[in-house]
Amino acid sequence: MKLFKNLAQPIRLRKQKAKRQTLTQQMYKIYSENFVLPPGHTKKLLRVMKLTIFLLFIGFMQVSAISLAQTVTLAATNAPLSSVLTQIKRQTGYDFAISGKVIDQAKPVTINVKNGKLTDVLKKIFEGQPLDYSIEDRSMVISIKQPGFLDKLKNALSFNQSDVTGIVVDEQNRPIAGATVIVRGASNGHFTNADGVFHLKNVDDNAILVISFIGYQKQELPAHADMGKIKLVVATSTLDAVQVIAYGETSQRLTTGNITSVSAKDIENQPVADPLLALEGRVPGMFITQANGVPGSTVTVRIQGQNSLLSGNDPLYVIDGVAYISQLPPNLGGAIWPGGAATLNGPVAGSPLSYINSADIESIEILKDAEATSIYGSRAANGAILITTKKGKAGKTMISANVQDGYGHITREVPQLNTQQYLAMRNQAMANDGLTASADPADPGYAPDLKIWDTKSYTDWQKVLLGRNSHYLDGQASISGGTESTQFLVGAGYHRETTIFPGDFADQKASMHFSLNTSSDNKKFKLQLSGSFLNDNNQLPQTDPTFLASFSAPDSPPLYNQDGSLNWALNSLGSSTWTFGNPVAYLLKTFSNKTNNLGSHALVSYQLLTGLQLKSSLGYTNIQIDQITTNPLSALEPARRPRLQNSANYLYANENSWIIEPQLNYGKNIGQGKLDVLAGLTLQRQNMISDNYRGVNYYTDLQLTDPAAAQQTYPSATASQYNYSAIFGRINYNLNDEYLADLAVRRDGSSRFGPEKEFHNFASAGLAWIFSKESLVQKALPFLSFGKIKVSYGSTGNDQIGDYRFLTQYAYLPGYSYQGNLGLATQGIPNPYLQWELTKKANIGIDLGFFKDRLLISGNYAINRSSNELLPYPLPVIAGYNAILENLPATVQNKSLEFTITSINFKTKDFNWTTNFNLTIPTNKLIAYPGLATSSEANTYSIGQPITILKVAKFDGVNPADGNYQFIDRNGEVTEYPDVFGTPSDAIATVNTAPKFYGGLQNTVSYKSFSFEFMLSFTKQIGANDIFGGSDPGGFDSGNQPTSILNNVWTRPGDHAAVQKFSQTGSNFLQYFYAVNSDAAYSDASYIRLKNASLSWKFPGNVCRMLTISNARLYIQGQNLLTITKYKGMDPENSGLFGNQFVPPLRVITLGIQATF
Amino acid sequence: MKIITIKCAPERNKKYKNGFAPGISPRKMFRWARLLMLAGILASCQKFVQAPAPVTTLSSENTYTSVSTAAAVLDGIYIALNPSATNDAGNAFSLSTSLLCGLSADEFSQISTAGTSLTQYYTNGLTNQNGDLWNYAYPIIFNVNSAITGISNSRSLPATVKQQLLGEAQFVRAFLYFYLANLYGPVPLVLTTTPQANATLTRAPVNQVYQQIISDLTAAQSELGQQFLDGTIQNASTSRSRPSYWAATALLARVYLYNGYVTGDNSNFTNAVSESSTLIKNTTLFGLSSLEAVFLKASLGNKEAIWQLEPTVAGYPTSEAREFIIPATGPSDSYPVWLSNNLVNAFEPGDLRKTQWVNSVTTGGTTYYFAYKYKNNILNSTINEYSDIFRLGEQYLIRAEAEAKLNNISGARADLNAIRDRAGLPNTTAVTQNDLLIAILHERRVEFFTEMGHRWLDLKRMGAVNSVMSTVATEKGGTWNANDALYPVPATDLQTDPNLRQNPGY
Repeated sequence: MKLFKNLAQPIRLRKQKAKRQTLTQQMYKIYSENFVLPPGHTKKLLRVMKLTIFLLFIGFMQVSAISLAQTVTLAATNAPLSSVLTQIKRQTGYDFAISGKVIDQAKPVTINVKNGKLTDVLKKIFEGQPLDYSIEDRSMVISIKQPGFLDKLKNALSFNQSDVTGIVVDEQNRPIAGATVIVRGASNGHFTNADGVFHLKNVDDNAILVISFIGYQKQELPAHADMGKIKLVVATSTLDAVQVIAYGETSQRLTTGNITSVSAKDIENQPVADPLLALEGRVPGMFITQANGVPGSTVTVRIQGQNSLLSGNDPLYVIDGVAYISQLPPNLGGAIWPGGAATLNGPVAGSPLSYINSADIESIEILKDAEATSIYGSRAANGAILITTKKGKAGKTMISANVQDGYGHITREVPQLNTQQYLAMRNQAMANDGLTASADPADPGYAPDLKIWDTKSYTDWQKVLLGRNSHYLDGQASISGGTESTQFLVGAGYHRETTIFPGDFADQKASMHFSLNTSSDNKKFKLQLSGSFLNDNNQLPQTDPTFLASFSAPDSPPLYNQDGSLNWALNSLGSSTWTFGNPVAYLLKTFSNKTNNLGSHALVSYQLLTGLQLKSSLGYTNIQIDQITTNPLSALEPARRPRLQNSANYLYANENSWIIEPQLNYGKNIGQGKLDVLAGLTLQRQNMISDNYRGVNYYTDLQLTDPAAAQQTYPSATASQYNYSAIFGRINYNLNDEYLADLAVRRDGSSRFGPEKEFHNFASAGLAWIFSKESLVQKALPFLSFGKIKVSYGSTGNDQIGDYRFLTQYAYLPGYSYQGNLGLATQGIPNPYLQWELTKKANIGIDLGFFKDRLLISGNYAINRSSNELLPYPLPVIAGYNAILENLPATVQNKSLEFTITSINFKTKDFNWTTNFNLTIPTNKLIAYPGLATSSEANTYSIGQPITILKVAKFDGVNPADGNYQFIDRNGEVTEYPDVFGTPSDAIATVNTAPKFYGGLQNTVSYKSFSFEFMLSFTKQIGANDIFGGSDPGGFDSGNQPTSILNNVWTRPGDHAAVQKFSQTGSNFLQYFYAVNSDAAYSDASYIRLKNASLSWKFPGNVCRMLTISNARLYIQGQNLLTITKYKGMDPENSGLFGNQFVPPLRVITLGIQATF
Repeated sequence: MKIITIKCAPERNKKYKNGFAPGISPRKMFRWARLLMLAGILASCQKFVQAPAPVTTLSSENTYTSVSTAAAVLDGIYIALNPSATNDAGNAFSLSTSLLCGLSADEFSQISTAGTSLTQYYTNGLTNQNGDLWNYAYPIIFNVNSAITGISNSRSLPATVKQQLLGEAQFVRAFLYFYLANLYGPVPLVLTTTPQANATLTRAPVNQVYQQIISDLTAAQSELGQQFLDGTIQNASTSRSRPSYWAATALLARVYLYNGYVTGDNSNFTNAVSESSTLIKNTTLFGLSSLEAVFLKASLGNKEAIWQLEPTVAGYPTSEAREFIIPATGPSDSYPVWLSNNLVNAFEPGDLRKTQWVNSVTTGGTTYYFAYKYKNNILNSTINEYSDIFRLGEQYLIRAEAEAKLNNISGARADLNAIRDRAGLPNTTAVTQNDLLIAILHERRVEFFTEMGHRWLDLKRMGAVNSVMSTVATEKGGTWNANDALYPVPATDLQTDPNLRQNPGY
């Protein structure tokens, strides 16, 4: 409620007369058609009603002939109206009601009357004032002048046109600015102003107004002079749900781009700490690979395939409008977080998105085609992922809490040889090599596993090392609420996740998030502020110990001696007999990762005019990484300790960036259409520093975390700055919601390129036709509720090449000195002509809605071509270096065929069932690569083949004569020694491990208070298998093997076997090596995985009331619950080399409760 | 008090002048527009986009603004010539030259499992995949050229420092081209850092390479000081680790001697005599040290040293000692080479160098002799030896050879005898020019064995390579072809530079 100046005594309302009551009822009717207010608002509503009635009443009073017999005497020159009225009050006893706003607009009064009639005086005073007055009983109400009711009525009767006004509000009665109000069939459309008010002139009386706003259901209402409040209801059709896009919003219905949205609900249902993992299988065109099941590990995201041969292929991440890093700074996590894509700066380790609290996310939008991404210019060649965090909503202050607790477990194990099978293999290997097992380390038949260890013992090392349950605990709490003009949300979260490895390893995250939205009274000025902070403390082993679980022999000695000390199982020379060291000792090499991630964002906007908005987005992010890896002497066998040193690595990296993006937005209705124009600019700066210390030689292992305790330290450091600026513009035209056009241009500058090539232009255009609006289509295909064809074409760039690549740089040669000086050396040949990799994207799509949008089908076909690839161009070494980074006209093509089906199968009061299905068929091809044959990549790529291929030897089974694997060389001859690394090479077979197709199927079923949801993800692909064993089978050093190697082993000449002869001495190791690098080592790794399922039960209303909570939900949910695959190896989702070196994604099941107070 | 809301018809826009919101006059609008435009200009301004030079690396401009960073570039070059922590031939130009040329010639024997690359050098069976010294030298030349450009363009370096560093760079360039021309014959003469031009160079005739070497060295002689300097480039030093006027002179003497053979022009021998005499005559600075002291660092009183390379990693002794000294357990993959019987037997009876500079181990009934010029191979011990790259002994033999070529028999004998005398040997019996040259070739063999490839270059220069190697190659288990005297141009460069041609026989 606004405050009013207390000029006069308040007026008391009397009972209304019958006539007026009828009118009131009519008014009420109008309102009630549009009004569905939450219970708390009834009072407010009544108050508004009363006022309206009162206003109407005043209207009547004005035209009624009233005579006031009183007289007044006044003399004033340029006096404020208020003081004049005060005098009148004093003389007549009349009360005045006038609001501060109204009185502000009053003009000074000059009057000189003696004993004038009150009515005459008033008339004179209000002459020329923009105000009206009315009198009832002994009160007088001053208001802003408006046409009298009868005038209106007269107008309405005598002409068939009138002006129409109204206020458009949302469900919480907040005015909606910028909503479109258009008269159906006419061309005079308007936007609502900052107060949500619209005013249309000369509207036909029988006209229909169409009121629409993104994210809300369109309303069509018959025109009235005063439409009152028009409440828009949030769209329920997925077609109309808000989609966040670059610098704005749209809906699936109205976009011309290829965009997929994932809502908070889908993310919340999944017990994963990294929000990227919640997207698996849900987004057509996006393929996600999790390197291993360790917290914080690398996640690879590819949107519509791999565009760049060597530069970054990561999408652009934008959190609340602020660009976020797509890669962590180079760090020490490479061994525990493997699988990162190789970039020009080395492999990537860790996932930066794991430092974002999933629970803070409201929605994630994935922008794929040029139309959606081109406005991000050089950063978005690989698509863009927009993350929007949760905001407060107006209304009662709500406290929400969500706690879940559960456990994780390995999804699959590889069946390994048991002791009996293992010993048989070892004895066979001995026999093959003509050796006798011996306990003497000098004997070629040295076999501790046969001679020293207890051959009757059996340990399932996968159980011991990977068999534990990890504990998963996640708690979130938030407070939110606010008024119409200010809303807030404050949330906090805690997450703890242990590993399945033995030992005290855990990842803990504590996070805070807040959001504040506020606007000025006139709604012209708006401020949106949000911030988040996350502290991560991740204590892990330095290396994924999964390979120990796979390779440790089943009769390996016990981990501990009877006295509790580590068992090294020494031989006669005092050396440990463990093949890979005691696994527990191995886990003493630790990795500690402490990360602080701060993100903040502000959006300030001011409405200059109706439709014209000036706004600026401001953001600052800072990520700090503090890592230590330790290599204690205690991890080494006792005999080796005197000759080796303990060591530790320390890394401190800080990456911070700020961004300012002022924008000017202009929207105007032109004819039947709506024009939106956006212009803006970007200034972004990113600073990275990384200090690295290697400490060697500590007095004690206990001090490995203290760099000062090292007797020798070797420091190194890198620092870089990345600057980025751009001017951009976008024009969007929507003609009658039927024809949509979008044009975006951007001029980009990036410091990663030399002065010669800093700037570049990018542009895109998109067109869409909603053909279901055609009456012809509507008549012919009545079941088709929505139909849209869209095309887009445009260019985007890629500057993910690392900083300073164009500059002659000298760097110190760490560890070396001459005459006591450090030495400097050049770092490659600079190329000042380096420029963007350019990706041109074409997309054609169709969206269809059937049966009132209950069935939605959408298809997209994208062709993306990346050229100007940044590649090392081979140089003769006489030029100083054997390559220079250049833009080569190499061209990579990605095609992506994407389908989505959304269907509401049942929709009743109690029972609802919806299905989502998506499928992507990607293809990738290297179109051109000048000079490929002579380049260092000649053995990696082939023209016309996908760039993801591997060139491997051609397997030809086992040579029956000597029992070794054999291969077909490039001349078609059988050989046991294919020259796979030579030029020309015998790597004549190609395998492609990129997926052939992938997708997901999601079903949501709700029945009364129960809700069940499950998601299947599927992938058709080829992966590395383990049929040749984990390492060449038979040798002591090779350890245990998967049972697959027992399948038809060569034992004597003439055998037609599948597995080559076992060997103690590694006599046929080379053949084994070629075999795992042959086409036979790759086989089907397709899978269907029950990625996620969740069942929840809503507390009944009376229970909630009893507990004085507004609602509560009990749920059980799980991740990676079931896998159907023929894959030979540990897990088809991360089929690395040999298939069993990395711990697969875990199966996590949690039980949780969510409550709102 | 009662508060009353009064709704009013929203007719506001009507009242505003020109339809602008209150407070927004057209003038203000223009101000906004101007501001936006200004910001736009700012954005496109290169100033913002251009990132400042990195902090942890130096841009070329910054590098040559201070003495210490400019000097560090040269120090980086010396490190590249002799990176102490690498084993075997790995990436080290100086050690690789000693090792690979010694294997190609008749100085070493090696174990059968020494590795493909070493074996190919050993058996004179190189292929176009063996690019070792070529691949080590040219990247250093790139840094040298980069330094020459940077130093020449620098406006802030003191003139004396600028001269000294420029001289050092030119000296190193001459030094590397001397080896390239002698190992590969005609080689591309890369004198700039422009990749476009350098990537298409042809091989310059040996003649032209020598002209460049001589011009670089004469320039270096005028630029370099006669004082030995320390790492500050400003203070004198007792060590002789930085190239000086004397180092340039020593190389120039050698280059003139070689160039006499290349061109057949005797004036070169005259020049060689005069250059080497400059060094030999300067007895204040230089003299022949006792055999025990020849490889000690100059600061310990070794007056024989002209230019030495320091070990470049703290705690590491010379690469030569670490590579050549064979432990009591005998040769292995880590210590794959030892002195050939051919060489060991070449020492005359009573040659003190055989007792002072050769040592042996006996395992399994076999005695392995190894080079023991550098004696300290213990990590973290006191470093008392630096690698001799140029020493006065060579100047005596250069002058002896040049004098012999000029038919100055007595002068030649005197210089030869000076070296023999130190080794405890009687005066040479050679009296004819030819005998004297043979005697000098022999003397060089036992004086400079396993040092910077002298033997391999001597055999080639003095025309003995085919006669000597045809027997030696067979002993080593290979075959000799006259084409083997030149190493092959690496295949990678032939593929990437269309104008390069391979040496005959590869």
